Amino acid sequence: MEQTVQNLEETYKSILQTFLNRKSEQGLYEAQQFSKVLLEHQISPEELVSIHRAVLEELYPSVSVEIVDSLDLLLEVMMGYGLAYREHQSLRDRQIELESQINVAANMQQTLLPKAVPTVDQLDIGVISVPANKMSGDYYHFIQDENECVGVAIADIIGKGVPAALCMSMIKYAMDSLPEQRLQPAALLENLNRVVEQNVDDNMFITMMYGSYDPRTHDFHFSGAGHEPGFFYKASSDQFEELYAKGLVLGVSKRVKFREYSQRVDQGDFIVLLSDGVTESRIGDRFVERAEITNLIRKYMHLSAQELVESVYYELAKLQEFILKDDFTLMIIRRKV
Amino acid sequence: MNLSIRQEKNEDVVVLYLSGEIDAFTATKLREELIPLAEMGQTVRVDLSGVDYIDSTGLGVFIGALKATHITEGNLTLVGMSTRIKRLFSITGLDEVIAIDEEGSK
Amino acid sequence: MMKTQSCVEVKNEWGIVAARQAGRSLSKEIGFGSVDQARITTAISELSRNIYLYAKRGEICLGAVERPTKMGMQKGIQIIARDHGPGIPDIRQVMTDGFTTSGGMGAGLPGVKRLMDEFLIDSETGEGTTITTTKWLR
Repeated sequence: MEQTVQNLEETYKSILQTFLNRKSEQGLYEAQQFSKVLLEHQISPEELVSIHRAVLEELYPSVSVEIVDSLDLLLEVMMGYGLAYREHQSLRDRQIELESQINVAANMQQTLLPKAVPTVDQLDIGVISVPANKMSGDYYHFIQDENECVGVAIADIIGKGVPAALCMSMIKYAMDSLPEQRLQPAALLENLNRVVEQNVDDNMFITMMYGSYDPRTHDFHFSGAGHEPGFFYKASSDQFEELYAKGLVLGVSKRVKFREYSQRVDQGDFIVLLSDGVTESRIGDRFVERAEITNLIRKYMHLSAQELVESVYYELAKLQEFILKDDFTLMIIRRKV
Repeated sequence: MNLSIRQEKNEDVVVLYLSGEIDAFTATKLREELIPLAEMGQTVRVDLSGVDYIDSTGLGVFIGALKATHITEGNLTLVGMSTRIKRLFSITGLDEVIAIDEEGSK
Repeated sequence: MMKTQSCVEVKNEWGIVAARQAGRSLSKEIGFGSVDQARITTAISELSRNIYLYAKRGEICLGAVERPTKMGMQKGIQIIARDHGPGIPDIRQVMTDGFTTSGGMGAGLPGVKRLMDEFLIDSETGEGTTITTTKWLR
């Protein structure tokens, strides 16, 4: 370390000497570049003042004592900057450590999401989920059984980080391992609610909507746990209706019953499920209106389900300059035939 | 991003007057005032007339307080909700488990 | 371990200045360069300010110390900041960067720790706080 400081002092002396002999922009530029070298070597501000003083006395032995003494005062003042600088370094190191932890958790989370959208003859399914930060609180999952019934779930986990990711794996496990429950959305939510209530923090909860489409009867049976209402588009009347399933958010009460709803899906109809990151998109100072969302969907309705969700996302994100305040998840399930 | 809390005691009811936003930044402040009251089995009225926005972190605080009152037999009532906030409590089903007084802030 | 020790009472800002003075003289005597003198004095300043702000009164004791190394005896300065104030309820919190009650970036105990080589803190609520910190001459 001593060796390096010596070299730096020599370099600084030559830069200063050159500059004092001929004041030029180049000299200042050299100094600015040297500043980066100093920072790389973690030379603190007070050390630099000391270097400057030593170099000055070396170059100009007859320099007035007041000037040299004034540098003592400057050194003392720079101590404060030195303390702040060191704290900044320490915080930066800590941040790097935290970010790598978050990356690990975010990757864990990615593995819990479905790899692909299910392929069902009758249906055209599109989904988009964009996290506001590295870790998403939104989750969605699909399941299929031998009868070609398709179960879809959308959930918003309140609470962040690893506990939220753990909740996601709970939902995934509940759906994947209870085949008889798929056609009984209410029972599935009741089951999940018990698990969530026992295992999460008092301040955490999950909103969720779960439904199952039966291609034999063309019915969509669904239940909701405090989740943002979706939409149902009826092709015959070219109208959007609210798709709402009233229920208490998961994790609050040990014994809750969920209501089951049923919606007939005709050809051309589609189901829209979303998280509140969609309905809480901000346009300037205000929140987007639900009617504006259906208008956007209407605009891109001629596209495939996947293209449709991506286009709607793009427009809403554009209105917010691509800075999302909340995780955005939008899913569309259209009956083709 | 700002929340102000004013506490008043009316006989054995503690009233918290909230003003501003209850979000991830301000939720801790609310938690520190509300949860201890709930844990003490206190009867609490929370006046939300001055609140224009609650996010899910804010809801979490009320849920935590609700759970505390279940254990201690305390009492929690919310009043003065705006339309938007009322809708939020309705969608999440919390309006069926937390007492909400429609009649205003007294 | 302490060869010589002198203590300065801190109960107002004059005490802080006096402690700084004593620290500067002793570190100069031991052989510390001007930058290290400034660092030691700043550490003493921060520690005395804490005493003054939170405990209202206490003392800063300074002494020269020595330890054996492969290259022979190494000299250093040891500072003991002692008070019988309210104590620190959450030591972990005060040792974390970014936490400060008296304003000023980078100051506080983590800052002192970085200026010195060794740092030991002992505090009990209702009893008081003792901080022992040492810097060695390189």
